[in-house]
Amino acid sequence: MNRVAELWAYREMITSLVRKDLRGRYKGSVLGFMWTFINPLLQLVVYTIVFSTILKSGIENFYMFLFVALVPWIFFSSALTTGATCIISSKDMVNKIYFPREVLPISYVTSSFVNMLFSFIVIFFIILFSGIGINGKALLYLPIVMAVEYLLALGITMLTSALTVYFRDLEHILGIITMAWMYLTPIMYNVDIIPERLLPIFYLNPMTPIIIAYRQILYYREVPRMSTLLHGFLLGLLFLSIGWFSFSRLQRKFAEEL
Amino acid sequence: MESSNVIEVKNITKKFKIYFDKGSSLKEKMLFKKRNHYEERLVLRGISFDIKKGEAVGLIGKNGCGKSTTLKMLTRIMYPDSGSIDVKGRVSSLIELGAGFHPDMSGRENIYTNAAIFGLTRKEIDHRINDIIDFSEMEDFLDNPVRTYSSGMYMRLAFAVAINVDADVLLIDEILGVGDVSFQTKCFEKLKEIKKNGTTIVIVSHSLEQISRICERSIWIEEGKIKEEGVPEIVHRHYLTQMEEIRLQKKETDREKNGTVENELPDIPKGCFDQAVRTGNQSVCISEVKITGESLKKGNLLPIRNSFEISVSYDTDISVVGKISISILRDDNILYCYSDTFIDTQKYITFDRAGTVRLKVEGHYLAVGNYIVHIVILNSENHVLDSLQHALDFRVIADENGYETIPMEHHWFLEHTKIEEE
Repeated sequence: MNRVAELWAYREMITSLVRKDLRGRYKGSVLGFMWTFINPLLQLVVYTIVFSTILKSGIENFYMFLFVALVPWIFFSSALTTGATCIISSKDMVNKIYFPREVLPISYVTSSFVNMLFSFIVIFFIILFSGIGINGKALLYLPIVMAVEYLLALGITMLTSALTVYFRDLEHILGIITMAWMYLTPIMYNVDIIPERLLPIFYLNPMTPIIIAYRQILYYREVPRMSTLLHGFLLGLLFLSIGWFSFSRLQRKFAEEL
Repeated sequence: MESSNVIEVKNITKKFKIYFDKGSSLKEKMLFKKRNHYEERLVLRGISFDIKKGEAVGLIGKNGCGKSTTLKMLTRIMYPDSGSIDVKGRVSSLIELGAGFHPDMSGRENIYTNAAIFGLTRKEIDHRINDIIDFSEMEDFLDNPVRTYSSGMYMRLAFAVAINVDADVLLIDEILGVGDVSFQTKCFEKLKEIKKNGTTIVIVSHSLEQISRICERSIWIEEGKIKEEGVPEIVHRHYLTQMEEIRLQKKETDREKNGTVENELPDIPKGCFDQAVRTGNQSVCISEVKITGESLKKGNLLPIRNSFEISVSYDTDISVVGKISISILRDDNILYCYSDTFIDTQKYITFDRAGTVRLKVEGHYLAVGNYIVHIVILNSENHVLDSLQHALDFRVIADENGYETIPMEHHWFLEHTKIEEE
C-alpha cells in the first residue's frame, strides 16, 4: 500500500512523462499530432482494400471485424515490445536520481493507452459514418474492458521491462513472441473456428477474453458476457500481480546493471 | 527507529561485481561462460550511523572509500546487500543536477518536469515556482530552450529546483562548485537557512572547508568502514595528517624504486614536527627548532597566559643578510600572530656559519586550542632560503585557576546601578 501512496505522490511525474511522450512521438513531422489519427485511418483503408477485394472472407464488414480487435492489440503489443525497453531508455534518470521506478512502465503504458483512445475516436467516426450503428448499453462496458486491458498491459510491461535490464536479448525475442501471440489470439478470425480440444489453451491467453469482449461490444453490438469480463479481469489481475511483484524484486539492482 | 533520528543506517555492506569482459546477451552468456569473470569488490564493510533532525553531516574520505556509494544508498538509487537504511520524510538530492532536463524544452517547462521527478505535485510546484525562478536569477531566459543555456546557467536552474523542494533530507554530492562566487555564497546561505528550518543535510565532498562551514559532524570513511566520527575540525585534522603520511610514504617507495630523487631536501631539523613541509634552497639551513618555557608541560602543553620561547638554530656555508620570521596559527588556519626580526628593528641580521635566534613571548594572549608554528628564513630580497611549515605545534590549556579565555583591556561602567557595599 505504501508503494501505491508513493506513486500517487509522483502523479505529476507520470503525467509529465506521458505528455512528453505523446508530444515527442511525432515531433518534427509536418502533420505532427494529426498522425495519431491519420495512422489508424490509413491502416483501415489498407485492410478494407485487402479484405474486400483480394482476400474475401465470409464475415460481413470484415474490415470492421478486424479493426476493432486490431486497435486494442496494437496497444498491447507495443506495451510488450517497446515497453520492454522503457527502463533502459531512461537509464540516465535511473542511475542518477531516485523516484519509484514503477513510474516508468506506468507512464509508458499510459501514453500507449491514450494513443489507443485517439484511435478509438477514428473507430467511432467510421462506425457512425458507415452506418454500422452503436448499442448504447453495450458501450457502457467498453471502459471496463479497456481498464482490464490496461491492467494486463501494465503487468506485462513491468515484467518485461525489468527483465530486459538484466537480459538485453529479451527485447528481440519479444518481437517474435508478439507475432506468434497475435496469431494465437482471435484477431483475424473468430473463436468459433478454433478446434474444441484447443480451446482451454486459448482461454489461458489473457488477450482472448479481452478481444472477444471488444468485438462483442463494437462489432456485434451486444453486452459482453459476464463470464468473459470476469475471465479477462482475473487474468489481468494475475499478470499485474506477477509483473509488479517481479518488478519490485528486480528494481533494486537497476542502477548497478545499467 | 528512534523518534529523534531522521536517518538510521545499520551495519550496511555492499559488494560490486567488477566484470572483466561482460556479456549481457544470451549468446554471450551461454557461449562464453568463461568470459564472465568478475571480481567482487567489497565497497562497504559494515557502516552504521544515526543522524538527527536538523543535523548536517559531512562524509569524507579518499576516492573509492565508499562515501558516494553510501550517499547513493541513502537516496535509494542503490540498495545495500545487508543491513538496513531508514530515512524519514521527503528526500531531495543534489547528486546529479538536472537529471531529466530536456534540452528542447524551455527553462520553465523543465522546472516543472524536474520538480516532478522529486515527487512534487503540480500544485506544489505552482506554489514554489517564484522562489525557484528568483533563486536561479534566470527570469530573462526562462522561456528559451535549455539547450541554449551555458553550463553555469544550467546548473543554477537545476540547483534552484533541487533546493526548493522543501525536503526533510537533503543529500549533496560534490556539487557546491556550481556557478560564480556570488552564486556559491548564495547557495551556502540557502543551505544554512534550510538547515535552520529543520532540514537534515548530508554532504559528500573533497572540500573539507565546505564541510566545516555547514556541518557539525564529519564521518571519515576508509576502505568501507567508519574510521572516525566527530567534530569536523578534529576529524579533518586527523584525516589530513594521514593523507600527508600516505603521500610521504608513497614518495618514500617511489624513491626506493627510482633511486634518488632530484632536488632532495635535507631531512627536517632536530626538534621539528616530523611532518613539517620544508621548502627553500637551504643556503641558510635551520638545524634545530625548540619550544621552551618554565611552565611548558610535556607534550607541548602551555597553560594560558604563561611565557614561552621559540628558538631557531641555523648553519650556513656562506654569509647572508636577511631575517627570520615566525608565525603562530590556530589549527583552523587563522593567523594569530606574526613577527620577524626586521619588523621590530628595521634592521636585517647576518647569518654567518652558525647561530641561534630566540623569540621570547612574555605572557601570550592565545585562547585554549591547538596552535601551529611556521618558521621561515628569508634574505633581504624576501626570497625564501629555508621554510618550515608546521615546524612546531603546541596546545594552550587552562591555567591552574581554570581560566580558559584571554583577558581584554576593559572597564565596567555602572549607570543607575549601585555597587553592593560589603
